[in-house]
Amino acid sequence: MAIDLQQRIRAFLAGGSDNFAELALEVFAFQCANNPIYRAYCERQPAPVRSWKAIPAVPTSAFKDFPIACFPLPEAVAEFHTSGTTREKAGKHYFKTLELYEAAIRPNFEQHLLVGPASPSTLLGTLSLSKGRLSIVDTGVTEVDRRDACPTSLPVLALTPSPKEAPHSSLAHMLGVVGGSDCEFFVEQDTLLLERLTHRLCEMQWANQPVLLLGTAFAFVHLFDHLGNTRFELPEGSRAMETGGFKGRSRAVTKPELYQLFTRQLGIPAHRIVNEYGMTELSTQFYDATLRHGSPTDHKDVPPWSRILIMDPRTGQESPLGERGLIRVFDLANLWSSQCIQTEDLGIAHADGTFEVLGRVANAEVRGCSLNAESFRKE
Amino acid sequence: MNTTEIQAAIARPGVFPQRTPHAIADALVQTARLWLAADSPWRARAIAAASEPTGFSAAMVNEAVTLTFEALAQATFGDCKFSGEPPHRITHILSGNVPAPSIASICRGLLLHAVNLVKSSQRDPVFPALFVESLREVDPDLAECVTVLHWPRSETNLTRAALAGANTVIVYGDDDSVASVRALTPPRARFFGYGHKISFAIVGEAALAFHQSSTGGRGSRRAEDSLSPATGSGGASPTNLGDLPTLAAWDASVYDQQGCMSPHVFFVGNDAREFAAALAEAMENYQQRIPRGTLSIEEAARAAVVREAYEFRSANDPRVKIWTGAPPYPWTVIYEEDPVFTPSCLNRTIFVKPISTLDSMQAWAGKISTVGIAPWNDQSRNSVSHWAERVCPIGQMQRPPMFG
Repeated sequence: MAIDLQQRIRAFLAGGSDNFAELALEVFAFQCANNPIYRAYCERQPAPVRSWKAIPAVPTSAFKDFPIACFPLPEAVAEFHTSGTTREKAGKHYFKTLELYEAAIRPNFEQHLLVGPASPSTLLGTLSLSKGRLSIVDTGVTEVDRRDACPTSLPVLALTPSPKEAPHSSLAHMLGVVGGSDCEFFVEQDTLLLERLTHRLCEMQWANQPVLLLGTAFAFVHLFDHLGNTRFELPEGSRAMETGGFKGRSRAVTKPELYQLFTRQLGIPAHRIVNEYGMTELSTQFYDATLRHGSPTDHKDVPPWSRILIMDPRTGQESPLGERGLIRVFDLANLWSSQCIQTEDLGIAHADGTFEVLGRVANAEVRGCSLNAESFRKE
Repeated sequence: MNTTEIQAAIARPGVFPQRTPHAIADALVQTARLWLAADSPWRARAIAAASEPTGFSAAMVNEAVTLTFEALAQATFGDCKFSGEPPHRITHILSGNVPAPSIASICRGLLLHAVNLVKSSQRDPVFPALFVESLREVDPDLAECVTVLHWPRSETNLTRAALAGANTVIVYGDDDSVASVRALTPPRARFFGYGHKISFAIVGEAALAFHQSSTGGRGSRRAEDSLSPATGSGGASPTNLGDLPTLAAWDASVYDQQGCMSPHVFFVGNDAREFAAALAEAMENYQQRIPRGTLSIEEAARAAVVREAYEFRSANDPRVKIWTGAPPYPWTVIYEEDPVFTPSCLNRTIFVKPISTLDSMQAWAGKISTVGIAPWNDQSRNSVSHWAERVCPIGQMQRPPMFG
């Protein structure tokens, strides 16, 4: 059953058509049967599951307390950890195989970072012209056929550690998959190598070589603080993917401020910057449709093998379109862990099938004069 | 609102009227009685106006009126003292939606013969202004000494103007807001900042006995010595909780747990789980009488994240159990064997934990407002008095003295 399911999902990820609703219910049956922790939770739910929307969600916090896995843990080939703080345990996501995880990364990344209707000639031209020097991705840990690898002609500069340096970071692994063997990583021993990165940006500018920059928002803020009055004009076609929040890592800036800094300091316009929404507990990432549309947008696409539900925290029911609520993610590529994850992020679903991420619940305003959990963490 | 208006309010030439402290206290008590009278129009106006900005249900606003003005009517005015130079002109920056501290601050200013400029909070623009209006009915000259205004926190030029004319500044709020007002306060003015605090409660002979032994106390007394006639909350044996759960639910539910005297955790000596079950029933009973207010999506989401995390844990961990009211989940009781203090997401989410140590409270030193205890006696009180500004019986946590 597991192998059949894995193959079906694999084909779905590769662009095949399938029935999400039916597949989700099969995965639900599989995960209930093979994860006693999840089964115990499902058995407490008041109503039987008849449609995919009723599948019980695993809260992200559960990854800190229990193994959320449908296989014996010694069989895990990889485990990714959330960034736990000193007061909190880290959550762990165990993988029996990275096949679905890596397969979910590639097409989605390509569709959102390696397209550019604003000036298609730049990138597509580069892609065809430069075939001779295309690099073949070597993910190091992959089980995926090399022919599936995602080629890119753009040099990839990642403001993260390499997968080798940070074997438990899902972000580092993901960037390793998309960036390939040519990808350069600029974090070593927890330090952003600012001089080396600046030097590299300089070289790229002089060589008139467009680049793809990948990193967390706070790493980019560090870079911009370091650059100060130094300005780059990276060649047309250069683009950036930023992800994640700022929690305790650097000064916090808003998304418009951050994007202005990209434009001012690096010469990358807002219509070539893409925000990625991903988390350790998932296998699939979600990207702003900015490059696909050729204009900046906060709306994120949902790939066919996943679904987003916005849940009204007051009723526990799905929120109407356009209303704020907690983001619940369905991700079939999470076959061996949990396909349905309840996040701690607020979001809005739109009629066109996209959704917006509004931020962590923890950062929301509180009433009253009592100290609460969040102000304690802040200290 | 502009700086001229604010400057006029704080620098008004009005001389404080000739009043003895006794006459001022008398006027304040009379005003409190206007609010407590049967069919009081002031109460009705507060209920009509305050529900929306405070987020409290009408029944909770009604309860807030009773609590605030009973405290004022019964206040010991001699407790309101001030050392050093008299505060001729006070600027009060209020915060939050719990009215009692705001009303107390205004009363304190008047008792000290000061002219007062009050910046009400966004969450409660109603009570301070209505209170001054009701005072005007009793003593118009005294009411002239208070001006209540509201402007957004972001208008720092207005705040600066309000602070510039004062010789004393009193600020309530989270640490960040207190610090930001302090930075705007002229150096010659005296500054009093009251940051946010937390509270908790300890239940049962065994809990208090444990604590006494762990802090070198003299051990517990027999249960019958400790019955408290005032609250009936003593003798908390697991088989005879009496009305203790009801009193505890009251402490945890009033002001939807948003006051700094609202408990986050009940530490329980014996049979904490049983206490939690009884508390859950009492929380539901209180909800039936005085419903929790409507939460914003953010607040509801915060509570949902906590609730769902513990629901998942409780399915797989016998050391955790959770009780909630039906959607919109107006209350949540979480029993957790882990004895470490866990700050609540508030809005009637309360933790019950067995007590094995209060070490986790060390991290909160200086930030603890109130510790509620049962049973209540001299010995139990002394055993925890070093933890908090105030120690009181469970059931009295939300009834602090007006000028304590």
